[in-house]
Amino acid sequence: RTIDLTSQLVKITASITLENTGKETVRNFLIVLEPDTVGNLSYISVKDSLKEDLKLTPTKLENHETGAYSVQLKQPLATGRTTTASLEIIVTKDLVPYPSSITQKEKQLVRYFGNHYFYTPYLTTKQTTSVTLSSRSVENYTKLKPVTQSESTITYGPYNDIPAFSQDRMIVHYENNSPFLTVTRLERLIEISHWGNIAVEENIEILHTGAKLKGSFSRYDYQRDTSSNHHSIKSYRTILPAAAYNIYYRDSNGNISTSQVRARKDWIELELRPRFPLFGGWRSSYTLGYSVPSYQYLYRKSSSEYVLNMRLLDHVFDDMHVEELETYVVLPVGVSDVKVTTPFDVERLADGVTYKYLDHLGRSVVKLRKTNLVEQHIQDLEITYNWQSVLLLHEPILLALALYVLFIFVIIYVRLDFSIHKPEHSKKD
Amino acid sequence: MLGLGKKNPTANNAEKQETLLTLSILTLAAILSFATRLFSVLRFESVIHEFDPYFNYRTTKFLAEEGFYSFHNWFDDRAWYPLGRIIGGTIYPGLMVTSAAFYHLCWLFNITIDIRNVCVFLAPLFSSFTTIITYLLTKEVKNAGAGLVAAAMVSIVPGYISRSVAGSYDNEGIAIFCMLLTYYTWIKAVKTGTILWGTLAALAYFYMVSSWGGYVFLINLIPLHVLTLMVTGRFSHRIYIAYSTLYCVGTILSMQISFVGFQPVQSSEHMLALGVFGLCQIHAFVDYIRSKLSKNDFDVLFSFLVYTVGVLFVFVFGLLTLSGKISPWTGRFYSLLDPSYAKNHIPIIASVSEHQPTSWSSFYFDLQILVFLFPAGLYFCFSQLTDANIFMILYGVTSIYFAGVMVRLMLVLAPVMCILSGIAVSHLLTKFMKNTDSAKPSEHKKSKKLESNYVLKNEISSAFVGVICLLLISYTFHCTWVTSEAYSSPSIVLSARSHDGGRIIFDDFREAYYWLKMNTPEDARIMSWWDYGYQITAMANRTILVDNNTWNNTHISRVGQAMASSEEKAYEIMKELDVDYVLVIFGGLTGYSSDDINKFLWMVRIGGSTDRGAHIKEWDYYSSSGEFRVDKEGSQTLLNCLMYKMCYYRFGQVYTEGGKPPGYDRVRGAEIGNKDFELDVLEEAYTTEHWLVRIYKVKDLPNRGI
Repeated sequence: RTIDLTSQLVKITASITLENTGKETVRNFLIVLEPDTVGNLSYISVKDSLKEDLKLTPTKLENHETGAYSVQLKQPLATGRTTTASLEIIVTKDLVPYPSSITQKEKQLVRYFGNHYFYTPYLTTKQTTSVTLSSRSVENYTKLKPVTQSESTITYGPYNDIPAFSQDRMIVHYENNSPFLTVTRLERLIEISHWGNIAVEENIEILHTGAKLKGSFSRYDYQRDTSSNHHSIKSYRTILPAAAYNIYYRDSNGNISTSQVRARKDWIELELRPRFPLFGGWRSSYTLGYSVPSYQYLYRKSSSEYVLNMRLLDHVFDDMHVEELETYVVLPVGVSDVKVTTPFDVERLADGVTYKYLDHLGRSVVKLRKTNLVEQHIQDLEITYNWQSVLLLHEPILLALALYVLFIFVIIYVRLDFSIHKPEHSKKD
Repeated sequence: MLGLGKKNPTANNAEKQETLLTLSILTLAAILSFATRLFSVLRFESVIHEFDPYFNYRTTKFLAEEGFYSFHNWFDDRAWYPLGRIIGGTIYPGLMVTSAAFYHLCWLFNITIDIRNVCVFLAPLFSSFTTIITYLLTKEVKNAGAGLVAAAMVSIVPGYISRSVAGSYDNEGIAIFCMLLTYYTWIKAVKTGTILWGTLAALAYFYMVSSWGGYVFLINLIPLHVLTLMVTGRFSHRIYIAYSTLYCVGTILSMQISFVGFQPVQSSEHMLALGVFGLCQIHAFVDYIRSKLSKNDFDVLFSFLVYTVGVLFVFVFGLLTLSGKISPWTGRFYSLLDPSYAKNHIPIIASVSEHQPTSWSSFYFDLQILVFLFPAGLYFCFSQLTDANIFMILYGVTSIYFAGVMVRLMLVLAPVMCILSGIAVSHLLTKFMKNTDSAKPSEHKKSKKLESNYVLKNEISSAFVGVICLLLISYTFHCTWVTSEAYSSPSIVLSARSHDGGRIIFDDFREAYYWLKMNTPEDARIMSWWDYGYQITAMANRTILVDNNTWNNTHISRVGQAMASSEEKAYEIMKELDVDYVLVIFGGLTGYSSDDINKFLWMVRIGGSTDRGAHIKEWDYYSSSGEFRVDKEGSQTLLNCLMYKMCYYRFGQVYTEGGKPPGYDRVRGAEIGNKDFELDVLEEAYTTEHWLVRIYKVKDLPNRGI
C-alpha cells in the first residue's frame, strides 16, 4: 500500500493479493473504507492484474452504512486460488495544516491522520505501507515498529496477520509546500453552435486552503524571496484542448493581463497568474473561456441525430480539487429528445432555457452538478439529441425579414406624403 | 411643356446625387467619429476609464438590474460612511437611463449585450449622433455644405474626443449631443415660430437637464439670444412663441429631475431665463398696445410702465435674495466668472485639474486650425446677420470665454468652433472653387469682363484651395495623433515602454481592487483619498469614506487630516471613522507621478480648511527653504505623517534604479529622508506588484493590560 502525500490530495494505491480460502468460488469481494475517510472520498477505482477496470457497486454492511463497495471480479476465483487487484482511492481535505496559520516567512506544515493497517473486512496475512511525502523535513510520525524513514519516504511494516477491521492511528506531521488550492466552485458552460464552433466558458472560484496567513503581507519580502518552494501560489498551469482558440482570461474587473499561452504538441498549456499571489485563506475568481471547432466533438449519428462528446470537467491545475462543479450545456435552438450519458453519477438539475443572440425561441440548457471532484474525474460526457439542420437558417432569415420590413417601411414613408395639407412653399422673410 | 419635361430629370438627378453625396459623407463622418474613439478598446480592452465613469457604470448597472423606482429611491450605504448618499436625488440620471434603455432595447431583440459594453460604447455612439446633429444645426444656420464640413470636423475634434472615447462613460458624452439637439430645435423654433418646435426644444432641453449640470449654460444662452434679438429689434411673434413654449414647458420638465428640484425658479443662475421670459411678455404686450393706441398715448403709457415694472422687479428680486428664496451663486459658478475665486476660497474645487484655467497651448492642442478658422466663421456670421447667426455668434463668444476659465468647458466650445469653422471653410471654398471652374471655356462673356481685373485668378484660387486642403489634412493628422497619444489611455491600466522597446502593463489598480473584493470582509470600510472612491466602490464593492462626489467638505477634510497627522493622531481619527483598511497610491517605484504624495499638499490644504483641522498648517510641510521635498531636507512633520509612512513603509530597503541608493523615489528624484521606521497602528495588508497601490489594515485597539 502506498500513501502519496506529496500534494494537497491523499492518494492511496493498494495492490491487493486475494486468496480464496473458502470452499466456494468467489465472484466478488468487498472493499470497505474507514469511517473517517468516507465523507472526503472523491474517487475510487479497482483494477485487475490486466489493468482493466472492475465494476464497483456500493453495498451496505453492518456498521458500515456507507463506504462499502462490492467488486465484481472478471473471472471467478476458485477455492485456493489467488488473484491480484489494485485499488486507487483519492481523498480530499485530509491533510490538515498545523499550525493552522503561519506568517509569510514560515513553512507550511501539515498533519495527516491515517491508519497503520489496511482497512478491510478480511484477514490480512502480510502488509506494508509506504508513505511518500513532499519533503524530507518531517516533524514527527507515529512509530509503530517496524518503521523506517529514508529521504522522503516512511515505510511501515511488514505487519503480519492483522485481523479484519483493525485500526491504529497513524499521524504524520511534515512540511508540505505544494499548492493547497481548492476550486470552491466551477461553472462550466458549453455552448454548441452548428456553424462549427463550440464555446466553453469556465467561471472558477479558487481558495487557498492551506495554512492561513498570519500578520502582514510584505511585498518587499515577497519580491526578495525567489525560491520556488513557497506556500503561496503565484501561478499555475491549465491545460486546454489542442484545438482551442480565442482564449480569454478575465474577471469582473476586466482582462487579466498576466497569462501566457504555450502550444504543446497535443494540448495547449496556459500559464495563469491570478491578479495577486494567493496566500492561505485568500480567495480569487476568474473566468476562462475558449472556443474549439465542433467537428472534433460533435458527430452526426443519423440524418437528424447528433452526439456531443465533451469533457464534463476539464483540467484546472495539477492535483486539483473541485468542491462543486456545475456543467451547463447550451444546446442549439429547437432540439428534441435530449439524452445525457455521464461517465459517473451526476446530479441532473432541471433543464433551463437561455436566450443568446437573436434567439426568440430560446435554447434548452442541460444542467449537471457534482461535488468533490479530482483529476481522475476528467471524463467525457455524452449528449445525444435530435436537431433539424434547417434551423441553422432560422436566425439569418429572421434578420433578413426584419431588415426587409424596415426598408419597406422607409420606402413607403419616403414615397408617400402623409401631411394633411400641402405645405405652401413658404416665403422666408 | 417640353422644356419643363427636359429640365426636370436633370434637376432631379442632381438633387438625387446631392442627397446621395450628403448621406454618404454624413454616414462616413458618423462612422469615423465612432471609430476614432476606439483606440483604447483596441489597445487594451473594453474597459471603463478614469474615475467618475466608474460611478456611472455602477449606477447604470444598478438601474438596469433593479429598475427605475428602486434606482430613484436608492440610498447608497457603500459611500460616505457613515453618512451614506441618496443616489437617486443627487445625480443627473440622463446618462444611466439612456444606457439602461439601450440595454433593454437590445435585450428585447435578444441581442445579449453586456451592460458594461453598452456603457463603454455609449459615448462613441452619441458622438456619431452629435456629428449628424451638427450637420443639421449648421445647415439651419448656413447651408448644407457648411453642415457637412462642420460635421466632418466635429467628428474628430480632440476637444470633444477627450471626453467621449470608448470607455469614458461620463455625462458629457451624451450632454454635448443633447446640447446641440436643443440648439437645433431652438433654432428651428425661432425660424418657424411653431409650438411644435418649441415643445421639441423643451423636450431636448429636458434631456439635457437630466444628463448634465452644464445645462445652466444653455438656459442662460438661449435667454441671452432672445434678449439680443430684442435689443437689436428683431423680436417677433415667432420668437415670442418659441421662447414662451420652451421656457414654460422646459422649466416644468426640468423640475422633475430631483437633483434640480426647485432651482430653476430659485437660484440666481436661472434668473436670466425668468427675467427674459417676463420681458418677452412685456415686449409682446407693448407691441400689442402699440398696434392699438395712437403714438402719443402709447409713449406716456410706455414710460409709466417701464418705471413701475423696473422698480417692482428690483424690489421683489432684492426681497427674495435677502429672504434666501433665491439661493446665492454657487462656488463653481463664481469660479466661472472669476478664475481666481476658487483658488482663493474653495480648495476642493481648485484641487481638481479639470477646473483649472485653460492654457493657450491646450486651445491649439484641442482645436488646432479651428482656432484660426473660428474668427473667420464669426466674420461670415456677422456679414449676414440672421436670427440663427446671432445665436451662433453668442454661443461662440460666451463659450470661448468659459473655455478659457475652466479646462473642461473646452467641451462646450469644441462644437461651436467646428460649426463656425465649417461655415468659414465652406464659404471660402465655395467662393474659390467657383473661380477655378471659371477657367472652363463654357463661360459667359459678361462675367469674364467683370472679373477680368483679377490677375491669375485661376491659379490663386487653386493655390488657395490647395492650402485649405493642406490645413484640413493636417487637422486630420493632428486629431488622430492627439486622440491616440493623449486621450486614449484608460488610466486604470497603465502602460509603459521598457528599455528594450516592449510594452509593460501596470495593472496594479485592478489588482488591488480585486484583492479588496476577494479578501476583505464584506462590510470593511476603506479610507483613501477621494479620487479613488468611485473606483473602489465599483470595482472592490467595499464601503468608502469619501468619493469623487465631493459634497461634504468637512468629511473629506477629516480624511485629509488623518493622512496629514502623525500616526497616533491619525489612529484616533481612523477609529472615530471606523476605518478598517487604508489605501494609498504610491508611484515612487515605477515613476507614476500622479500619486498620493504629489497630491499630498491638497490633502493638507483641504484638511486644514475646516475648524477641526486648524492645527494642520501648510507651512509645516515645507522644508526650511520653503520647498516640498521628501528627502532628508524635508520637514519633520512631513516625514512623520501617516501618508508618508504608508507610502514609504519598507521602501528604504528597495533598490529602484541602478547607481542610486536604496529608497530612491523615482517620481520626486530623491532618496527618501526617513527610512527605517515601523508602523505601530497599521500593518501592511497588501501591496501590488509594482507598489502602485498599498493597502494597510488598521490594527485593533490593544487588549487591556498588554
